[in-house]
Amino acid sequence: MIKVLFFGPVAERIGNNQAAVAYRPGIHLQDVRDELAAQYPQAFEIVCFAAANGEHVRDMSLPLADNSEVAFMARFSGG
Amino acid sequence: MKPAVRIQQEDFSQDEEIRALQASSKRMGGIATFLGCARDFSEGREVSEISFDAYGSMALSELDKLRSDAIEKFGLLDARIVHRIGTVKGGENIVFIAAGAEHRVAALEACRWMIDELKQRVPIWKKETTPQGEAWVTPHP
Repeated sequence: MIKVLFFGPVAERIGNNQAAVAYRPGIHLQDVRDELAAQYPQAFEIVCFAAANGEHVRDMSLPLADNSEVAFMARFSGG
Repeated sequence: MKPAVRIQQEDFSQDEEIRALQASSKRMGGIATFLGCARDFSEGREVSEISFDAYGSMALSELDKLRSDAIEKFGLLDARIVHRIGTVKGGENIVFIAAGAEHRVAALEACRWMIDELKQRVPIWKKETTPQGEAWVTPHP
């Protein structure tokens, strides 16, 4: 299982701060994004960044291991 | 002594942070600080409070990296970063950054660099509460 986290404006649009996507061998970060973006198109309109296991990821072809934790995030507004 | 990088609900003391920074080295000739506060007016609306959401573990690790990167990039003797989460009222403190170096230029430049980088790299989001309702903040460049 891939654990997916949402925060702030993305979580608000989804109505939840967490989701799960079934793991399959060879699954990439882009596959998880595509699956969730199809379910929550309004939320993914504002997604600008992705993270895997707490690290920024720019290459969406990153292969994921089972039990990975990923996040799809809107632009940050801290500070 | 409190850790040099923290995310916390409660307010912080600038004096305490500066004392902790100074205690790290007597070679320090310049300390630059940045204090970010909650404005009570934004985008033409009154703001009564700001609430923060964060990807806590990643935000802390990014702040740690940010501090290490600044120390290396600007040759700082030490640096500290404290960011509040939860709910902050207009006029209250949000973030404090302090950079200590042998000379002022490195301290000033590092302090500016750290707050700019924090806004780009650290997964924290703010939502303003106004008389018209609540709205997530769209980042300023």
